[in-house]
Amino acid sequence: MTTSTSAPTPMIEVRELSKAYGPHKAIDRISFSVKKGEVVGFLGPNGAGKTTTMKIITGFMPPTSGVAKVAGFDVFEDPIEVKKRIGYLPETPPVYGEMTVESYLKFVARLKGVEKSRVKTLVERAIERTELGNVRHRLIQNLSKGYRQRVGISQALVSEPDVLILDEPTVGLDPRQVAEVRTLIKELAGEHTVILSTHILPEVQATCERIIIINKGKIVAEDSLESLGRRMKSSVRVYLRVGELKDGLKEQLQAVPGVHSVTNKGESFEIDTDGSKDVAQQIAARVVSSGAGLLELREEAFNLEDVFLKLTTSEENQPGAAV
Amino acid sequence: MIAGKDLRNIFMSPLFYVVAAVCSLVWWFLFIVRVNEFLQHSAMLAYQAAMSGGEQQGLPLHYYVVLSHLYAVNLVMIFAVSAITMRLFTEEKRNRTYDLLLTAPVTATEITVGKLIAGTLTAWALLGIALIYPLSLGFFADMDWGSFISSFLGIMLLTAGYVSIGMFASSLTQSLVVAVILAPILNIVLWFVGALAEGASHPTTRQIFEHLNVAIHLGNFMKGNVGISSTVFLLSVVFLFGFLTQRVVESSRWR
Repeated sequence: MTTSTSAPTPMIEVRELSKAYGPHKAIDRISFSVKKGEVVGFLGPNGAGKTTTMKIITGFMPPTSGVAKVAGFDVFEDPIEVKKRIGYLPETPPVYGEMTVESYLKFVARLKGVEKSRVKTLVERAIERTELGNVRHRLIQNLSKGYRQRVGISQALVSEPDVLILDEPTVGLDPRQVAEVRTLIKELAGEHTVILSTHILPEVQATCERIIIINKGKIVAEDSLESLGRRMKSSVRVYLRVGELKDGLKEQLQAVPGVHSVTNKGESFEIDTDGSKDVAQQIAARVVSSGAGLLELREEAFNLEDVFLKLTTSEENQPGAAV
Repeated sequence: MIAGKDLRNIFMSPLFYVVAAVCSLVWWFLFIVRVNEFLQHSAMLAYQAAMSGGEQQGLPLHYYVVLSHLYAVNLVMIFAVSAITMRLFTEEKRNRTYDLLLTAPVTATEITVGKLIAGTLTAWALLGIALIYPLSLGFFADMDWGSFISSFLGIMLLTAGYVSIGMFASSLTQSLVVAVILAPILNIVLWFVGALAEGASHPTTRQIFEHLNVAIHLGNFMKGNVGISSTVFLLSVVFLFGFLTQRVVESSRWR
Protein backbone atom coordinates (compact mmCIF):
# COMPACT_ATOMS: atom_id res chain seq x y z
CA MET A 1 0.00 0.00 0.00
CA THR A 2 1.82 3.09 -1.15
CA THR A 3 0.47 6.57 -1.07
CA SER A 4 0.57 8.98 -3.90
CA THR A 5 1.24 11.95 -1.66
CA SER A 6 3.98 14.24 -2.87
CA ALA A 7 7.26 14.29 -1.00
CA PRO A 8 6.99 17.53 0.96
CA THR A 9 3.76 16.50 2.73
CA PRO A 10 4.70 15.08 6.09
CA MET A 11 3.54 11.52 6.79
CA ILE A 12 2.19 12.48 10.16
CA GLU A 13 1.13 15.97 10.99
CA VAL A 14 -0.18 17.01 14.36
CA ARG A 15 -1.33 20.55 15.00
CA GLU A 16 -2.45 22.08 18.27
CA LEU A 17 -3.70 18.75 19.50
CA SER A 18 -5.37 18.70 22.91
CA LYS A 19 -7.15 16.03 24.85
CA ALA A 20 -8.84 16.71 28.13
CA TYR A 21 -10.37 14.21 30.51
CA GLY A 22 -12.67 16.49 32.41
CA PRO A 23 -10.52 19.24 33.91
CA HIS A 24 -7.34 17.18 33.53
CA LYS A 25 -5.46 17.90 30.33
CA ALA A 26 -3.73 14.76 29.13
CA ILE A 27 -2.11 16.61 26.27
CA ASP A 28 -2.08 20.31 25.73
CA ARG A 29 -1.74 21.85 22.25
CA ILE A 30 0.89 19.53 20.89
CA SER A 31 2.26 20.15 17.40
CA PHE A 32 4.82 18.16 15.47
CA SER A 33 5.28 16.47 12.15
CA VAL A 34 7.08 13.39 10.97
CA LYS A 35 8.55 12.90 7.51
CA LYS A 36 8.17 9.74 5.51
CA GLY A 37 10.64 7.09 6.52
CA GLU A 38 11.66 8.76 9.74
CA VAL A 39 11.90 7.01 13.08
CA VAL A 40 10.77 9.28 15.87
CA GLY A 41 11.03 8.50 19.53
CA PHE A 42 8.39 9.72 21.87
CA LEU A 43 10.00 10.13 25.20
CA GLY A 44 8.54 11.07 28.50
CA PRO A 45 7.87 9.90 32.01
CA ASN A 46 4.85 7.71 32.66
CA GLY A 47 1.62 9.63 32.33
CA ALA A 48 3.12 12.35 30.17
CA GLY A 49 0.57 11.87 27.38
CA LYS A 50 2.50 9.62 25.01
CA THR A 51 -0.18 6.96 24.79
CA THR A 52 -2.95 9.51 24.46
CA THR A 53 -1.22 11.18 21.53
CA MET A 54 -0.69 7.83 19.84
CA LYS A 55 -4.27 6.77 20.37
CA ILE A 56 -5.48 9.92 18.72
CA ILE A 57 -3.21 9.45 15.70
CA THR A 58 -4.51 5.91 15.26
CA GLY A 59 -8.09 7.14 15.32
CA PHE A 60 -8.85 5.14 18.44
CA MET A 61 -10.01 8.19 20.32
CA PRO A 62 -10.91 11.68 19.20
CA PRO A 63 -9.01 14.80 20.26
CA THR A 64 -10.74 17.49 22.27
CA SER A 65 -9.36 19.99 19.82
CA GLY A 66 -6.73 20.23 17.12
CA VAL A 67 -5.92 18.29 13.99
CA ALA A 68 -4.02 15.08 13.34
CA LYS A 69 -3.29 13.97 9.79
CA VAL A 70 -1.75 10.80 8.46
CA ALA A 71 -0.60 10.80 4.83
CA GLY A 72 -2.74 13.89 4.34
CA PHE A 73 -5.94 12.28 5.64
CA ASP A 74 -7.58 13.79 8.68
CA VAL A 75 -7.84 11.22 11.44
CA PHE A 76 -11.31 12.35 12.39
CA GLU A 77 -12.74 12.95 8.92
CA ASP A 78 -11.29 9.94 7.06
CA PRO A 79 -10.66 7.39 9.78
CA ILE A 80 -10.85 4.42 7.42
CA GLU A 81 -8.20 5.82 5.07
CA VAL A 82 -5.96 6.60 8.03
CA LYS A 83 -6.45 3.21 9.63
CA LYS A 84 -5.53 1.45 6.39
CA ARG A 85 -2.11 3.03 6.60
CA ILE A 86 -1.36 2.44 10.24
CA GLY A 87 -0.02 -0.50 12.16
CA TYR A 88 -0.55 0.02 15.85
CA LEU A 89 0.86 -1.79 18.82
CA PRO A 90 -0.98 -0.68 21.95
CA GLU A 91 0.49 -0.94 25.45
CA THR A 92 -1.09 -4.37 25.88
CA PRO A 93 -0.73 -6.52 22.78
CA PRO A 94 -4.24 -6.97 21.35
CA VAL A 95 -4.18 -10.73 20.95
CA TYR A 96 -6.87 -13.39 21.09
CA GLY A 97 -5.66 -16.05 23.51
CA GLU A 98 -7.72 -18.79 21.93
CA MET A 99 -6.19 -18.37 18.48
CA THR A 100 -2.90 -19.70 17.20
CA VAL A 101 -0.21 -17.22 16.22
CA GLU A 102 -0.61 -17.94 12.54
CA SER A 103 -4.39 -17.80 12.40
CA TYR A 104 -4.34 -14.63 14.45
CA LEU A 105 -1.95 -12.92 12.05
CA LYS A 106 -4.06 -14.06 9.11
CA PHE A 107 -7.11 -12.57 10.76
CA VAL A 108 -5.36 -9.26 11.40
CA ALA A 109 -4.12 -9.13 7.83
CA ARG A 110 -7.64 -9.64 6.51
CA LEU A 111 -8.99 -7.13 9.02
CA LYS A 112 -6.49 -4.57 7.76
CA GLY A 113 -7.81 -5.03 4.26
CA VAL A 114 -5.03 -7.12 2.72
CA GLU A 115 -6.27 -9.01 -0.35
CA LYS A 116 -6.72 -12.71 0.15
CA SER A 117 -4.00 -13.65 -2.31
CA ARG A 118 -1.34 -11.68 -0.46
CA VAL A 119 -2.27 -12.71 3.08
CA LYS A 120 -0.10 -15.81 3.11
CA THR A 121 3.05 -14.06 1.90
CA LEU A 122 2.64 -11.18 4.32
CA VAL A 123 1.96 -13.42 7.30
CA GLU A 124 5.05 -15.46 6.43
CA ARG A 125 7.14 -12.34 6.26
CA ALA A 126 5.82 -10.96 9.55
CA ILE A 127 6.48 -14.29 11.27
CA GLU A 128 9.98 -14.36 9.88
CA ARG A 129 10.76 -10.78 10.86
CA THR A 130 9.67 -11.24 14.45
CA GLU A 131 11.08 -14.78 14.65
CA LEU A 132 7.85 -16.45 15.63
CA GLY A 133 8.40 -19.48 13.42
CA ASN A 134 8.74 -21.99 16.22
CA VAL A 135 5.53 -20.95 17.99
CA ARG A 136 3.35 -20.31 14.95
CA HIS A 137 0.96 -23.18 15.69
CA ARG A 138 0.66 -22.55 19.41
CA LEU A 139 -2.25 -20.86 21.11
CA ILE A 140 -1.38 -17.32 22.06
CA GLN A 141 -2.72 -17.78 25.58
CA ASN A 142 0.05 -20.34 26.23
CA LEU A 143 2.84 -18.03 25.13
CA SER A 144 5.11 -16.09 27.46
CA LYS A 145 4.83 -12.34 27.80
CA GLY A 146 7.84 -11.76 25.58
CA TYR A 147 6.40 -13.88 22.80
CA ARG A 148 3.03 -12.17 23.11
CA GLN A 149 4.74 -8.84 22.78
CA ARG A 150 6.41 -10.10 19.63
CA VAL A 151 3.08 -11.30 18.30
CA GLY A 152 1.86 -7.77 18.99
CA ILE A 153 4.71 -6.28 16.96
CA SER A 154 4.14 -8.84 14.24
CA GLN A 155 0.49 -7.87 14.15
CA ALA A 156 1.38 -4.22 13.62
CA LEU A 157 3.74 -5.12 10.78
CA VAL A 158 1.66 -7.70 9.01
CA SER A 159 -0.23 -5.42 6.65
CA GLU A 160 2.98 -3.56 5.74
CA PRO A 161 1.53 -0.19 6.70
CA ASP A 162 3.18 3.11 5.85
CA VAL A 163 3.09 4.21 9.45
CA LEU A 164 3.94 2.15 12.49
CA ILE A 165 2.90 3.34 15.88
CA LEU A 166 4.50 1.34 18.64
CA ASP A 167 3.61 2.02 22.24
CA GLU A 168 6.51 0.79 24.36
CA PRO A 169 7.49 -1.99 21.98
CA THR A 170 10.18 -3.59 24.11
CA VAL A 171 8.29 -3.92 27.38
CA GLY A 172 8.45 -7.44 28.74
CA LEU A 173 11.21 -8.65 26.45
CA ASP A 174 14.48 -10.11 27.64
CA PRO A 175 17.68 -8.20 26.80
CA ARG A 176 18.44 -10.26 23.72
CA GLN A 177 14.94 -9.77 22.35
CA VAL A 178 15.11 -6.06 23.15
CA ALA A 179 18.22 -5.83 21.02
CA GLU A 180 16.48 -7.76 18.23
CA VAL A 181 13.44 -5.54 18.27
CA ARG A 182 15.63 -2.46 18.14
CA THR A 183 17.46 -3.83 15.14
CA LEU A 184 14.11 -4.61 13.55
CA ILE A 185 12.89 -1.07 14.10
CA LYS A 186 16.07 0.30 12.56
CA GLU A 187 15.52 -1.92 9.53
CA LEU A 188 12.00 -0.61 9.19
CA ALA A 189 13.22 2.96 8.92
CA GLY A 190 13.12 4.27 5.40
CA GLU A 191 10.27 2.19 4.04
CA HIS A 192 8.06 2.77 7.06
CA THR A 193 7.50 5.82 9.16
CA VAL A 194 7.79 4.84 12.79
CA ILE A 195 6.72 6.53 15.98
CA LEU A 196 7.65 4.69 19.11
CA SER A 197 7.10 5.69 22.66
CA THR A 198 9.19 4.75 25.59
CA HIS A 199 10.40 5.93 28.93
CA ILE A 200 13.64 4.04 28.50
CA LEU A 201 16.37 6.30 27.20
CA PRO A 202 18.83 3.87 25.65
CA GLU A 203 16.00 2.68 23.48
CA VAL A 204 15.70 6.05 21.82
CA GLN A 205 19.43 6.36 21.57
CA ALA A 206 19.60 3.00 19.86
CA THR A 207 16.76 3.36 17.39
CA CYS A 208 15.60 6.88 16.70
CA GLU A 209 16.78 9.65 14.44
CA ARG A 210 14.77 12.27 16.18
CA ILE A 211 13.24 12.50 19.59
CA ILE A 212 10.30 14.36 20.95
CA ILE A 213 10.37 14.75 24.68
CA ILE A 214 7.00 15.22 26.20
CA ASN A 215 6.13 16.00 29.77
CA LYS A 216 2.80 16.75 31.42
CA GLY A 217 1.05 16.94 28.08
CA LYS A 218 3.47 19.40 26.53
CA ILE A 219 6.40 19.02 24.19
CA VAL A 220 9.47 20.17 26.08
CA ALA A 221 12.05 19.40 23.41
CA GLU A 222 12.08 18.23 19.85
CA ASP A 223 15.32 17.69 18.02
CA SER A 224 17.64 15.23 16.40
CA LEU A 225 19.66 13.06 18.70
CA GLU A 226 22.97 14.75 17.89
CA SER A 227 21.89 18.30 18.32
CA LEU A 228 20.20 17.56 21.62
CA GLY A 229 23.42 16.01 22.75
CA ARG A 230 25.42 18.94 21.41
CA ARG A 231 23.18 21.35 23.18
CA MET A 232 23.89 19.62 26.40
CA LYS A 233 27.64 19.37 25.76
CA SER A 234 27.75 23.06 26.52
CA SER A 235 27.50 22.06 30.13
CA VAL A 236 30.16 19.88 31.65
CA ARG A 237 30.24 18.63 35.17
CA VAL A 238 33.55 18.38 36.98
CA TYR A 239 34.05 15.99 39.86
CA LEU A 240 36.75 16.99 42.30
CA ARG A 241 38.19 15.41 45.42
CA VAL A 242 40.73 17.15 47.64
CA GLY A 243 42.94 15.97 50.47
CA GLU A 244 41.79 18.43 53.08
CA LEU A 245 39.02 20.97 53.09
CA LYS A 246 40.38 24.51 53.23
CA ASP A 247 38.27 27.50 54.22
CA GLY A 248 37.28 29.63 51.28
CA LEU A 249 38.09 26.98 48.69
CA LYS A 250 34.45 26.79 47.63
CA GLU A 251 34.29 30.52 47.12
CA GLN A 252 37.55 30.48 45.19
CA LEU A 253 36.23 27.79 42.89
CA GLN A 254 33.03 29.69 42.42
CA ALA A 255 35.06 32.64 41.22
CA VAL A 256 36.67 30.65 38.37
CA PRO A 257 35.32 31.99 35.06
CA GLY A 258 32.92 29.52 33.46
CA VAL A 259 31.76 27.87 36.67
CA HIS A 260 28.01 27.88 37.22
CA SER A 261 27.68 26.31 40.61
CA VAL A 262 29.67 24.44 43.20
CA THR A 263 28.31 21.93 45.67
CA ASN A 264 30.38 19.92 48.09
CA LYS A 265 30.05 17.04 50.45
CA GLY A 266 33.08 17.06 52.69
CA GLU A 267 36.10 16.75 50.44
CA SER A 268 34.12 15.91 47.28
CA PHE A 269 32.97 18.68 45.00
CA GLU A 270 30.55 18.72 42.11
CA ILE A 271 31.07 21.68 39.84
CA ASP A 272 28.78 22.58 36.99
CA THR A 273 30.64 24.47 34.29
CA ASP A 274 29.88 25.92 30.89
CA GLY A 275 32.29 23.49 29.27
CA SER A 276 34.81 26.06 28.12
CA LYS A 277 38.21 24.58 27.42
CA ASP A 278 40.43 25.58 30.25
CA VAL A 279 37.93 25.61 33.07
CA ALA A 280 39.08 22.28 34.46
CA GLN A 281 42.69 23.40 34.27
CA GLN A 282 41.91 26.54 36.17
CA ILE A 283 40.05 24.62 38.82
CA ALA A 284 43.07 22.36 39.22
CA ALA A 285 45.38 25.35 39.50
CA ARG A 286 43.18 26.92 42.20
CA VAL A 287 43.09 23.76 44.22
CA VAL A 288 46.83 23.30 44.04
CA SER A 289 47.58 26.91 44.93
CA SER A 290 45.25 26.75 47.91
CA GLY A 291 47.27 23.83 49.23
CA ALA A 292 44.23 21.62 49.65
CA GLY A 293 45.84 18.68 47.84
CA LEU A 294 44.33 17.54 44.58
CA LEU A 295 43.37 13.85 44.71
CA GLU A 296 40.95 13.44 41.86
CA LEU A 297 39.57 15.53 39.04
CA ARG A 298 37.43 14.33 36.17
CA GLU A 299 35.10 15.80 33.61
CA GLU A 300 31.83 14.29 32.63
CA ALA A 301 29.62 15.40 29.75
CA PHE A 302 25.89 15.24 30.25
CA ASN A 303 24.32 12.25 28.59
CA LEU A 304 20.80 11.85 27.32
CA GLU A 305 19.70 10.71 30.73
CA ASP A 306 20.64 14.08 32.16
CA VAL A 307 19.02 15.91 29.28
CA PHE A 308 15.85 14.02 29.93
CA LEU A 309 15.85 14.57 33.66
CA LYS A 310 16.70 18.21 33.22
CA LEU A 311 13.93 18.78 30.72
CA THR A 312 11.26 16.87 32.55
CA THR A 313 12.01 18.08 36.04
CA SER A 314 13.01 21.68 35.43
CA GLU A 315 9.47 22.67 34.61
CA GLU A 316 8.36 23.06 38.20
CA ASN A 317 11.30 25.30 39.07
CA GLN A 318 11.39 27.48 35.98
CA PRO A 319 8.32 27.11 33.83
CA GLY A 320 8.86 27.43 30.11
CA ALA A 321 12.60 27.78 30.46
CA ALA A 322 13.34 24.30 29.26
CA VAL A 323 12.93 24.80 25.53
CA MET B 1 -14.44 -11.81 8.49
CA ILE B 2 -15.16 -10.69 12.04
CA ALA B 3 -18.08 -13.09 12.02
CA GLY B 4 -15.77 -15.94 11.04
CA LYS B 5 -13.26 -15.09 13.75
CA ASP B 6 -15.96 -14.76 16.39
CA LEU B 7 -17.65 -17.97 15.35
CA ARG B 8 -14.40 -19.85 15.56
CA ASN B 9 -13.62 -18.38 18.96
CA ILE B 10 -17.07 -19.24 20.26
CA PHE B 11 -16.82 -22.82 19.07
CA MET B 12 -13.27 -23.13 20.37
CA SER B 13 -14.28 -22.10 23.87
CA PRO B 14 -15.61 -24.60 26.39
CA LEU B 15 -18.36 -22.16 27.34
CA PHE B 16 -20.41 -22.95 24.26
CA TYR B 17 -20.31 -26.67 24.95
CA VAL B 18 -21.25 -26.21 28.57
CA VAL B 19 -24.21 -24.08 27.54
CA ALA B 20 -25.18 -26.59 24.86
CA ALA B 21 -24.94 -29.47 27.31
CA VAL B 22 -27.05 -27.74 29.92
CA CYS B 23 -29.63 -26.77 27.31
CA SER B 24 -29.93 -30.25 25.89
CA LEU B 25 -30.22 -31.69 29.39
CA VAL B 26 -33.08 -29.36 30.30
CA TRP B 27 -34.84 -29.88 26.98
CA TRP B 28 -34.42 -33.63 27.13
CA PHE B 29 -35.93 -33.80 30.58
CA LEU B 30 -38.90 -31.55 29.83
CA PHE B 31 -39.49 -33.29 26.54
CA ILE B 32 -39.59 -36.80 28.02
CA VAL B 33 -41.93 -35.65 30.77
CA ARG B 34 -44.23 -34.10 28.23
CA VAL B 35 -44.23 -37.12 25.91
CA ASN B 36 -45.05 -39.37 28.86
CA GLU B 37 -47.93 -37.18 29.89
CA PHE B 38 -49.15 -37.19 26.32
CA LEU B 39 -49.04 -40.98 26.18
CA GLN B 40 -50.95 -41.33 29.45
CA HIS B 41 -53.61 -38.86 28.37
CA SER B 42 -54.06 -40.47 24.96
CA ALA B 43 -54.28 -43.90 26.57
CA MET B 44 -56.90 -42.57 28.96
CA LEU B 45 -58.86 -41.02 26.11
CA ALA B 46 -58.66 -44.22 24.07
CA TYR B 47 -59.87 -46.19 27.07
CA GLN B 48 -62.77 -43.83 27.67
CA ALA B 49 -63.68 -43.96 23.98
CA ALA B 50 -63.62 -47.74 24.02
CA MET B 51 -65.79 -47.86 27.15
CA SER B 52 -68.40 -45.47 25.85
CA GLY B 53 -68.32 -47.07 22.43
CA GLY B 54 -67.82 -43.68 20.83
CA GLU B 55 -65.37 -42.71 18.15
CA GLN B 56 -61.73 -42.35 19.22
CA GLN B 57 -60.30 -38.86 19.10
CA GLY B 58 -56.53 -38.39 19.20
CA LEU B 59 -54.92 -35.48 21.02
CA PRO B 60 -53.26 -32.98 18.73
CA LEU B 61 -49.59 -33.88 18.97
CA HIS B 62 -48.43 -30.51 17.66
CA TYR B 63 -50.16 -28.53 20.38
CA TYR B 64 -49.60 -30.96 23.13
CA VAL B 65 -45.93 -31.88 22.76
CA VAL B 66 -44.23 -29.82 20.10
CA LEU B 67 -45.49 -26.43 21.20
CA SER B 68 -44.79 -26.98 24.85
CA HIS B 69 -41.32 -28.10 23.84
CA LEU B 70 -40.82 -24.94 21.83
CA TYR B 71 -41.95 -22.79 24.74
CA ALA B 72 -39.40 -24.54 26.91
CA VAL B 73 -36.81 -23.91 24.21
CA ASN B 74 -37.72 -20.24 24.15
CA LEU B 75 -37.46 -19.95 27.93
CA VAL B 76 -34.07 -21.59 28.00
CA MET B 77 -32.83 -19.51 25.08
CA ILE B 78 -33.53 -16.29 26.96
CA PHE B 79 -30.68 -17.27 29.28
CA ALA B 80 -28.56 -19.45 27.03
CA VAL B 81 -28.25 -16.76 24.36
CA SER B 82 -27.20 -14.24 26.99
CA ALA B 83 -24.42 -16.57 28.07
CA ILE B 84 -23.16 -16.71 24.50
CA THR B 85 -23.53 -13.06 23.61
CA MET B 86 -22.03 -11.72 26.83
CA ARG B 87 -18.55 -12.29 25.44
CA LEU B 88 -19.09 -10.64 22.06
CA PHE B 89 -17.93 -7.20 23.13
CA THR B 90 -16.88 -7.47 26.78
CA GLU B 91 -14.23 -10.04 25.94
CA GLU B 92 -12.78 -7.75 23.28
CA LYS B 93 -12.62 -4.91 25.77
CA ARG B 94 -11.04 -7.03 28.48
CA ASN B 95 -8.46 -8.50 26.11
CA ARG B 96 -7.70 -5.08 24.69
CA THR B 97 -8.43 -6.52 21.26
CA TYR B 98 -11.13 -3.88 21.00
CA ASP B 99 -8.23 -1.50 20.30
CA LEU B 100 -7.34 -3.66 17.34
CA LEU B 101 -10.86 -3.61 15.93
CA LEU B 102 -11.24 0.12 16.44
CA THR B 103 -7.90 0.93 14.83
CA ALA B 104 -8.54 -1.38 11.87
CA PRO B 105 -10.04 -0.01 8.67
CA VAL B 106 -13.52 -1.36 9.37
CA THR B 107 -16.65 0.59 10.18
CA ALA B 108 -18.71 0.27 13.32
CA THR B 109 -21.45 -1.27 11.19
CA GLU B 110 -19.14 -4.00 9.91
CA ILE B 111 -18.07 -4.85 13.45
CA THR B 112 -21.67 -4.97 14.67
CA VAL B 113 -23.02 -7.00 11.76
CA GLY B 114 -20.12 -9.44 12.02
CA LYS B 115 -20.83 -10.05 15.66
CA LEU B 116 -24.56 -10.28 15.10
CA ILE B 117 -24.05 -12.94 12.44
CA ALA B 118 -21.66 -14.93 14.60
CA GLY B 119 -23.99 -14.75 17.60
CA THR B 120 -27.06 -15.67 15.59
CA LEU B 121 -25.42 -18.64 13.91
CA THR B 122 -24.27 -19.91 17.30
CA ALA B 123 -27.73 -19.50 18.76
CA TRP B 124 -29.19 -21.34 15.77
CA ALA B 125 -26.71 -24.14 16.35
CA LEU B 126 -28.24 -24.45 19.82
CA LEU B 127 -31.67 -24.47 18.22
CA GLY B 128 -30.42 -27.30 16.06
CA ILE B 129 -29.99 -29.32 19.22
CA ALA B 130 -33.48 -28.41 20.30
CA LEU B 131 -34.73 -29.56 16.91
CA ILE B 132 -33.57 -33.13 17.50
CA TYR B 133 -36.31 -33.90 20.01
CA PRO B 134 -39.42 -33.10 17.98
CA LEU B 135 -37.76 -34.53 14.86
CA SER B 136 -37.22 -37.84 16.60
CA LEU B 137 -40.92 -37.86 17.26
CA GLY B 138 -41.51 -37.68 13.53
CA PHE B 139 -40.31 -41.26 13.15
CA PHE B 140 -43.14 -42.61 15.26
CA ALA B 141 -46.04 -40.24 14.92
CA ASP B 142 -47.90 -38.14 12.43
CA MET B 143 -46.54 -34.65 12.68
CA ASP B 144 -48.15 -31.44 11.61
CA TRP B 145 -45.05 -30.51 9.62
CA GLY B 146 -46.36 -27.19 8.32
CA SER B 147 -47.09 -25.80 11.77
CA PHE B 148 -43.90 -27.30 13.06
CA ILE B 149 -41.74 -25.53 10.49
CA SER B 150 -43.48 -22.22 10.94
CA SER B 151 -43.17 -22.45 14.73
CA PHE B 152 -39.53 -23.17 14.38
CA LEU B 153 -39.06 -20.25 12.04
CA GLY B 154 -40.67 -18.03 14.66
CA ILE B 155 -38.30 -19.27 17.33
CA MET B 156 -35.35 -18.70 15.03
CA LEU B 157 -36.34 -15.09 14.44
CA LEU B 158 -37.00 -14.48 18.10
CA THR B 159 -33.64 -15.99 19.00
CA ALA B 160 -31.92 -13.63 16.58
CA GLY B 161 -33.68 -10.88 18.54
CA TYR B 162 -32.26 -12.22 21.79
CA VAL B 163 -28.80 -12.26 20.22
CA SER B 164 -29.19 -8.66 19.16
CA ILE B 165 -30.30 -7.66 22.64
CA GLY B 166 -27.51 -9.64 24.26
CA MET B 167 -24.96 -8.07 21.96
CA PHE B 168 -26.25 -4.62 22.86
CA ALA B 169 -25.96 -5.44 26.58
CA SER B 170 -22.42 -6.65 26.02
CA SER B 171 -21.44 -3.52 24.11
CA LEU B 172 -22.42 -1.37 27.07
CA THR B 173 -20.10 -2.82 29.66
CA GLN B 174 -16.67 -4.25 30.34
CA SER B 175 -17.97 -6.77 32.83
CA LEU B 176 -19.18 -10.21 31.79
CA VAL B 177 -21.38 -10.38 34.86
CA VAL B 178 -23.20 -7.17 34.03
CA ALA B 179 -23.65 -8.31 30.44
CA VAL B 180 -24.99 -11.71 31.38
CA ILE B 181 -27.48 -10.21 33.85
CA LEU B 182 -28.56 -7.27 31.74
CA ALA B 183 -29.30 -9.35 28.63
CA PRO B 184 -31.99 -11.65 30.09
CA ILE B 185 -33.53 -8.68 31.88
CA LEU B 186 -33.90 -6.89 28.55
CA ASN B 187 -35.20 -10.10 26.97
CA ILE B 188 -37.83 -10.49 29.65
CA VAL B 189 -38.78 -6.83 29.40
CA LEU B 190 -39.37 -7.49 25.73
CA TRP B 191 -41.92 -10.11 26.73
CA PHE B 192 -43.66 -7.84 29.19
CA VAL B 193 -43.98 -4.78 27.00
CA GLY B 194 -47.03 -6.42 25.47
CA ALA B 195 -48.57 -6.91 28.89
CA LEU B 196 -48.82 -3.13 29.26
CA ALA B 197 -51.81 -3.37 26.95
CA GLU B 198 -53.87 -4.53 29.95
CA GLY B 199 -53.28 -1.26 31.72
CA ALA B 200 -53.74 1.02 28.74
CA SER B 201 -57.05 2.85 28.76
CA HIS B 202 -56.98 4.56 25.40
CA PRO B 203 -57.81 2.19 22.54
CA THR B 204 -54.95 3.45 20.37
CA THR B 205 -52.30 2.98 23.06
CA ARG B 206 -53.84 -0.38 23.72
CA GLN B 207 -53.45 -1.31 20.09
CA ILE B 208 -49.85 -0.17 20.03
CA PHE B 209 -48.94 -2.25 23.03
CA GLU B 210 -50.80 -5.21 21.64
CA HIS B 211 -48.74 -4.96 18.53
CA LEU B 212 -45.60 -4.98 20.66
CA ASN B 213 -46.69 -8.23 22.28
CA VAL B 214 -44.07 -10.85 21.52
CA ALA B 215 -46.38 -13.62 22.72
CA ILE B 216 -48.99 -12.75 20.09
CA HIS B 217 -46.47 -12.64 17.26
CA LEU B 218 -44.76 -15.83 18.30
CA GLY B 219 -48.23 -17.34 18.76
CA ASN B 220 -48.98 -16.58 15.12
CA PHE B 221 -45.96 -18.57 14.04
CA MET B 222 -46.89 -21.36 16.42
CA LYS B 223 -50.34 -21.62 14.94
CA GLY B 224 -48.78 -22.04 11.56
CA ASN B 225 -49.47 -18.68 9.97
CA VAL B 226 -46.34 -16.85 8.96
CA GLY B 227 -47.65 -13.31 8.74
CA ILE B 228 -45.81 -10.30 7.39
CA SER B 229 -46.57 -8.23 10.45
CA SER B 230 -45.18 -10.81 12.86
CA THR B 231 -42.09 -11.41 10.74
CA VAL B 232 -41.48 -7.70 10.47
CA PHE B 233 -41.97 -7.26 14.18
CA LEU B 234 -39.40 -9.90 15.10
CA LEU B 235 -36.95 -8.66 12.50
CA SER B 236 -37.33 -5.11 13.74
CA VAL B 237 -36.29 -6.24 17.22
CA VAL B 238 -33.09 -7.56 15.65
CA PHE B 239 -32.55 -4.34 13.73
CA LEU B 240 -33.37 -2.02 16.61
CA PHE B 241 -30.81 -3.51 18.98
CA GLY B 242 -28.34 -4.02 16.17
CA PHE B 243 -28.65 -0.32 15.41
CA LEU B 244 -28.25 0.63 19.06
CA THR B 245 -25.10 -1.49 19.28
CA GLN B 246 -23.73 0.14 16.17
CA ARG B 247 -24.26 3.54 17.80
CA VAL B 248 -22.46 2.42 20.95
CA VAL B 249 -19.48 1.17 18.91
CA GLU B 250 -19.46 4.30 16.80
CA SER B 251 -19.64 6.50 19.88
CA SER B 252 -16.16 5.45 20.97
CA ARG B 253 -14.92 7.47 18.01
CA TRP B 254 -16.21 10.75 19.28
CA ARG B 255 -16.87 10.24 22.95
